[in-house]
Amino acid sequence: MSHSERSDIFLLDAERTTWHDETLWFVREKRDKAVYATPEFQELRQLASDIKDHTLSRLDFYLQQFEENARRNGVHVHWAVDAAEHNAIVLGLLRQHGATRVVKSKSMLTEECHLNPHLLANGIEVIDTDLGERIIQLREEAPSHVVLPAIHLKKEDVGDTFHKYLGTEKGNNDPQQLTETARQHLREKFLAGQVAISGVNFAVAETGTVVVCTNEGNADLGVNLAQVHIACMGMEKLIPRLSDLSVFTRILTRSATGQPITTYTSHFTRPAEGKELHIVIVDNGRTQQLGRPDFRASLKCIRCGACMNTCPVYRRSGGHSYDFTIPGPIGAILSPNIDMRKHASLPFASTLCGSCTDVCPVKIDIHTQLYKWRQVLGEAGKLPTSKKWSMRLLSRVLAKPGMYSAGGKVARQALRLLPHGLTHGQGYNPWAIARELPAPPQQSFREWYAQQPQNDKA
Amino acid sequence: MSSREKILAAVTANQPAKVPLPTVPFFEGDASVEKFTTLVQAIGGRVVEVAALAHLEEVVRQLFPADYRVASPLLSSANVSVDAQTPLAVLADVELAVLQGEFGVAENGAIWLPEENMLHRALPMITQHLALVLSRQQLVATMHQAYARLATVGGYGTFLAGPSKTADIEQSLVIGAHGARSLTVLLVP
Ligand code: SF4
Repeated sequence: MSHSERSDIFLLDAERTTWHDETLWFVREKRDKAVYATPEFQELRQLASDIKDHTLSRLDFYLQQFEENARRNGVHVHWAVDAAEHNAIVLGLLRQHGATRVVKSKSMLTEECHLNPHLLANGIEVIDTDLGERIIQLREEAPSHVVLPAIHLKKEDVGDTFHKYLGTEKGNNDPQQLTETARQHLREKFLAGQVAISGVNFAVAETGTVVVCTNEGNADLGVNLAQVHIACMGMEKLIPRLSDLSVFTRILTRSATGQPITTYTSHFTRPAEGKELHIVIVDNGRTQQLGRPDFRASLKCIRCGACMNTCPVYRRSGGHSYDFTIPGPIGAILSPNIDMRKHASLPFASTLCGSCTDVCPVKIDIHTQLYKWRQVLGEAGKLPTSKKWSMRLLSRVLAKPGMYSAGGKVARQALRLLPHGLTHGQGYNPWAIARELPAPPQQSFREWYAQQPQNDKA
Repeated sequence: MSSREKILAAVTANQPAKVPLPTVPFFEGDASVEKFTTLVQAIGGRVVEVAALAHLEEVVRQLFPADYRVASPLLSSANVSVDAQTPLAVLADVELAVLQGEFGVAENGAIWLPEENMLHRALPMITQHLALVLSRQQLVATMHQAYARLATVGGYGTFLAGPSKTADIEQSLVIGAHGARSLTVLLVP
């Protein structure tokens, strides 16, 4: 199914669509407030972008430096070329410790690798501990946003879910009480977790440290209570120096939720006495993206979600319509790298308004890359059919000025005379499904221009 | 070829020509107690001024009058002893932890808490309530100054900013998700 077909399903509930749109815009406004209150924000964006560019240009060096330092700190470092290898490594570690359950804090990488179903299929119980993740895990859904995984759900949905699985009273939709129930429920799981998995927000090459940012404290609680901590990281999470964290911790949450910093910004360098820390470095298509000059900047992404919150298409089509781990504008750049055919419609799920690029804290030229993907997909013959024929026809017409102006003349007349049902027929004109056509002008710009006296025979 | 070698070879083949690493300027800002206090309150914490270190026990008693199970290396009245080997069942019952914060960051209300000050790595998160003692002299303006103070982040350490919170249910802010339900900063001279 294409993005537009999936979003049709989301749009069936108009009220919910409007609510989704407004909720995300509210987050975007909080971001704006936080950004305007930080005088050097634009400088920080440039610095973040430059640091990431530099890191990508010497990634082989930093990966090895990171590994060496982590090893020296007593950390076990693993490398995974793809999702399957990542999952096998994690499962192997669990087996090695005889663990039958694992507590997990939020990680988009493990989502990307479909770790949960893999572990489940192998008899391991997986408990997601981030509240939003836990909610969607109980509902057997995927996250619909990178920072706000359950943003598509209303409190009534959560109330129903908790009633069904955690035994809360039916109709109790109070966020405070629901959160308290989750707190009690998850506390038991934390205390019984032998192994804990976390994601990684930043990995510091010069010290071999991984940094994990959460508001709930679930990552810290999980890994500090467990015997074994497995941190799963995409290789693009590297930054060179500890001091670079000053830049990234200042922009991450301000861009994401408008907070000045996450509640817990935790630095894991060495395992606690008698415990184990494992770090799995994952490629899974990232080296390939690194080799695509037009798209490699997408590897600078710090997963703040700002581009999603601002995107008019994301806000009105929902994260699930993207059918990819990372939805929204950045997801539409990352997904064709993984599977061009399957995700061919995503780079078209954009108005190219450039709002994503404006808010991106690491200055990724998101809308330009979306535009470039369209060219690549066109050349590879992977355009969605709805685009293919109309584009072909249009390019012929545009190549012939005579045909273009004749066509315009006919259209101006026809739009006035044809019945509404025909010009707005869903089969003929999908553009008009949710819009009115403007009244056709009396004359074209060319005709008007030719009539202006000063332009006579110029 | 091992996965490690495969990945590194692909990175080397695909990475672009080297571009320089920028120097990060030392952004200055307001490092006042007022600014810090405003930020701590904005993120859901509270700041209590303690006139002298000697008054710490008394202030804690006033702030937490209930008969709490308290873990702290700073108070003689602490009644739960915690170290790195403390069993989880004991940890899980701690209701109040009073720990020493190293320094505070005025721009975001975060306090640096290294492993050495935690008694157990999980204590700051598993306790129901957390109080951090902080010297008013130990405030910096921005995260740049903060990281400049950290020659090392040690084995484990966290910038802790306020009580645990979530907004995962319809964006309504709820304090007390998994970690401490409240954060009190005890500002000492
Ligand atoms: S592309 Fe930029 S704005 Fe979007 S999530 Fe990544 S860092 Fe944030």
